[in-house]
Amino acid sequence: MTLPAADLAVHGESSSAPPTEAARKSIAGRSPTRIAFDRLRKDPIAVICFVIVLFFAAIAIFAPWVQSLFGVSTDTVLASTRIDLVTRLPKIGPPNHGFTMDHPFGVAPGSGTDNLAVWIEGCRTSLFLATVATVLSTFIGVTLGLVAGFVGGAVDAVISFFTDLFLSFPFLLGALAVAPIISERYGTDIDKLRVVSFYSLVFILVIFGWMGVARLVRGEVLSLREREFVKAARVIGVPTSRILVREILPNLLAPIVVSVSLSLPGYVAAEAGLSYLGIGVFGRESWGQTVNGATSYWEIYPLFLLEPVIGIAVLVVALNLLGDAIRDAFDPKTRR
Amino acid sequence: MFAFLVKRILAGSMIIILVSMMVYTLFFYGPQHPGLELCRRDNHGRCGPTSPKLYDYEEKLGYHNAIYTEYGKWAKGLVAERTITIGATEYKCPAPCLGLSYRDRTLVTEQFKDKFPVTLSLAVGASFLYLAIGVSVGVLAARRRGTVADKMLVSSTLVFSSIPYYLVALISMLVLTISTSVFPKVEYISPFDNPLQWVSGLLLVWLVLGLFGSTSYTRYSRGSMVEALSEDYVRTAKAKGLPARTVVIKHALRSALVPVVTIFGIDVAFLLSGTVFTEKIFQLEGIGKWGVEATVIKDLPVVQATSLMLAVCVVVGNILVDIVYSFLDPRVRLA
Repeated sequence: MTLPAADLAVHGESSSAPPTEAARKSIAGRSPTRIAFDRLRKDPIAVICFVIVLFFAAIAIFAPWVQSLFGVSTDTVLASTRIDLVTRLPKIGPPNHGFTMDHPFGVAPGSGTDNLAVWIEGCRTSLFLATVATVLSTFIGVTLGLVAGFVGGAVDAVISFFTDLFLSFPFLLGALAVAPIISERYGTDIDKLRVVSFYSLVFILVIFGWMGVARLVRGEVLSLREREFVKAARVIGVPTSRILVREILPNLLAPIVVSVSLSLPGYVAAEAGLSYLGIGVFGRESWGQTVNGATSYWEIYPLFLLEPVIGIAVLVVALNLLGDAIRDAFDPKTRR
Repeated sequence: MFAFLVKRILAGSMIIILVSMMVYTLFFYGPQHPGLELCRRDNHGRCGPTSPKLYDYEEKLGYHNAIYTEYGKWAKGLVAERTITIGATEYKCPAPCLGLSYRDRTLVTEQFKDKFPVTLSLAVGASFLYLAIGVSVGVLAARRRGTVADKMLVSSTLVFSSIPYYLVALISMLVLTISTSVFPKVEYISPFDNPLQWVSGLLLVWLVLGLFGSTSYTRYSRGSMVEALSEDYVRTAKAKGLPARTVVIKHALRSALVPVVTIFGIDVAFLLSGTVFTEKIFQLEGIGKWGVEATVIKDLPVVQATSLMLAVCVVVGNILVDIVYSFLDPRVRLA
């Protein structure tokens, strides 16, 4: 392991000749974010996981086009056209018939809806919900953490108390208790319920998800606010809000990026899990709901269950490993 | 020690009371028509949100009184018998009274007695495996730090623990008990009736829960063991000529267990308050499944009971963890 300083000394001694272009590049300063990004690019696991995540994201964003590309849709069909009404199993595609390009993932037993279309919509719900929840919880966590760490005193005590309170309250039980109440109160008709159930789930995930970031940011701010650049900014009369946003926030980029990349998979998994328990989104396709419905068909039609299971597992594992790689890349202590 | 315990128990009771108040408030004001399910059941579904019958039900259940009166009645029921009126019938509820289930009007405490042994059995088996597998693998990995086996173990636990738990449980249940019969059908049989069937019926659940949960114990105990093995007192012990076994188990492991005990206390508390996914997937009638079903049909007394149970478990778990600390690590002083 050579220290960067050693490299510098060597270049300094040979200064009789003007440094070559390559040598100048190697000693050029790089920002921590740049260093992390370069490390990330050289990490094969991170690259593979990033491609997988990008693939899922593309499916989610371009869901309508992907569906029309395969010529499938989630529209309800007259079940008898696709389903054998006696066995309730599909007349086309798996499990009893071969692969068909009309329905690459087969059709659902009972209802006859196309599995691929449902899968794509499930991917969309999952990523959309996880993204909204991540953005909101990060925003709340960062704001509260900044304020608590910078202002200190009674404000810090109050915010820290609530952080600890929410941390000690179990997420699942909170979700179970709050979700039905919100849905009952505000979801008065089907259209409203569709929107309300989505946002009540986001609300629950955010309410039980902001504490980690808040704690992390608070801790960082506590040490940052004593640094010279912050004191200098204060001395020349920069207003507090500007110090927070322009001086302190850029220094928090690394922990925030890491916490975002590790909370996304958590939310994807939580959404599917809650849908599986029957308290997830209503009126939208969700992988968790498909898993719940498909469990009873396992013996005769395993593919029906495996499709959403593989979807959840691959997406969550890829996101998690990518998050770990990002954390390692930003951590100067890890060596590869 | 004694002063510490008294202090912790008082603080713990405060938290339990606060949580019970929060839960009570949530379910007092939360549902628009808390008596609707009860009223529908009695009147063959002919009970709307505006019907006078519903008003009567809610009146008798006390939903029109002030919340503090009702909370007082509920709390008093924990120590004294009270009567609860549902519709036209009066029910006696002996202490400790947690109310009547809105679903079948049986005493919540009676149902609790049926469900708790299932959850307790799950928790005992799983927590045993957490420690047995997690700590021993972690210690072995720490002693062979940097070898291929260690690296493979670390990366495989990372990948394994990234998969959502319910998928692991669901697929193992389907593959191991339905597709192939490697494991017998999962069921709960009381250990006092037949200890062998108790073990064989729950073995798969224990393994799934234990193996999945032990990954984090492996990581924690490996990390803290690596740290402990590089401490001065471990070097001293080695220099004294103590056998490697004694050094690892008596000197290093004791202090390395401190972070493990912390998460263990919390995990056991959560296991005791019901492993929702496990119980739903394996169809075991425990506290977790009971709680989920109760929230879906808005069986409020049951939800209150399960939440309270959870709070009690978490608080007691934390106090126990603090006590265990002082035994494990002589440097910890309780004050």
